[in-house]
Amino acid sequence: MKGVLLAGGRGTRLRPITNTRPKQLVPVANSPVIQYGIEAFREAGITEIGVVLGNKGRERIQRFLGDGSEFGVDITYIVQGNPLGLSHAVGCARAFVGSDDFVLYLGDNIFEDDLSELVTGFANSEAVASVALGNVDNPQRFGVADVDDQRNVTRVVEKPDDPPSSLAVLGVYAFSREVFDAIERLEPSWRGELEITDAIQLLLEDGLTIRSHVVDGWWMDVGKPEDVLEANRHLLETNGPARADERVDESEIPDGVEVHESATVEDGTVLRGPISIAGDTTIGDGASIGPYTSIGPGTTVRNAHIENSVIIGDSKITTENEVVNSLLGRGSTVKSANGMPADSPRLTVGENSIITL
Amino acid sequence: MRIIALTCPSCGTIVAANELEEAVLMTCPGLECEETLGFEQLSEADRKHFIEHLDQYRL
Ligand SMILES: [Zn+2]
Repeated sequence: MKGVLLAGGRGTRLRPITNTRPKQLVPVANSPVIQYGIEAFREAGITEIGVVLGNKGRERIQRFLGDGSEFGVDITYIVQGNPLGLSHAVGCARAFVGSDDFVLYLGDNIFEDDLSELVTGFANSEAVASVALGNVDNPQRFGVADVDDQRNVTRVVEKPDDPPSSLAVLGVYAFSREVFDAIERLEPSWRGELEITDAIQLLLEDGLTIRSHVVDGWWMDVGKPEDVLEANRHLLETNGPARADERVDESEIPDGVEVHESATVEDGTVLRGPISIAGDTTIGDGASIGPYTSIGPGTTVRNAHIENSVIIGDSKITTENEVVNSLLGRGSTVKSANGMPADSPRLTVGENSIITL
Repeated sequence: MRIIALTCPSCGTIVAANELEEAVLMTCPGLECEETLGFEQLSEADRKHFIEHLDQYRL
């Protein structure tokens, strides 16, 4: 079994953050989103991974992932270039996959559950594909699957007005090589892309079996700033629930607080877990951090109260106002407006911005 | 739709035909690979198909 991880896409819904970094490298709980996909593969025993790159930010993704050895996997790069659709991306991976089965994972997705149930269920079946499904309240906004009483997929429809179920197609699939022949028979959709749902529909029309695997745990397609904050909150929660304020004295770090060994947390700082503080970071002068906050590397925080936010890194936050529900790009500065009152605006701030609050 | 791509003979990196066509000649985008890749390295049949259906491979 091989892995194909999609790391293309333009990330338009995450602008301005994605003006300067691919969305797959936006950190959540101080690890880039794409790292969660790589780790999910490795934990399922899949270590041969093809990473499909688009035409944006690919050198940065390659610099981060390298040959995969740092993550315990072996990476082959596949340059798709133009974003011609998920089925096109998969088709480009054909020579890498060969005659193996493979798991396709969309690189902006994070799953709480591991992949092993999907993978072993598929490997032990006669099915040519398995699709991860999740129950959603708003199926009209998703690809939706209809399933029979054995949970085999009978139909997939894209953003239906009248959804046949509440089961949305999520960003992870298992396929056998039959999918490549289906993709060759596809025509581009109205938006000029080769759609993965069309390939699945063709396999069904060929009379082949497609399993489904309903994901019980939390999952997220990290597309918008609020998704980054929500994913951050969920991932930090694995360190435990929100805590009461705890003042740090004599370097005592409260529960639920991850602090890198090269970070400096001065006495008198208030830390309220769950939070993550990366290396080369200084928190002091009565700053108050948390809950649900990740402070990226190279950041200085003084005075400010930061809550439910992601600070990507190399930032300086000295405002006396609150920074709440905010996503701050690398190198941003948030300073105080000399006693001018402000009511905690929600910020999404691109790289190297300066905000006076 | 036929998906056309070239596999680097040195490192196994795969490059889609649309990328090759745009660059004419490119250094392999694989990590630390010095191989030169070009559209001309695709088979004649692939090149012909690509050029005849160019609109499908562009956005
Ligand atoms: Zn190469």
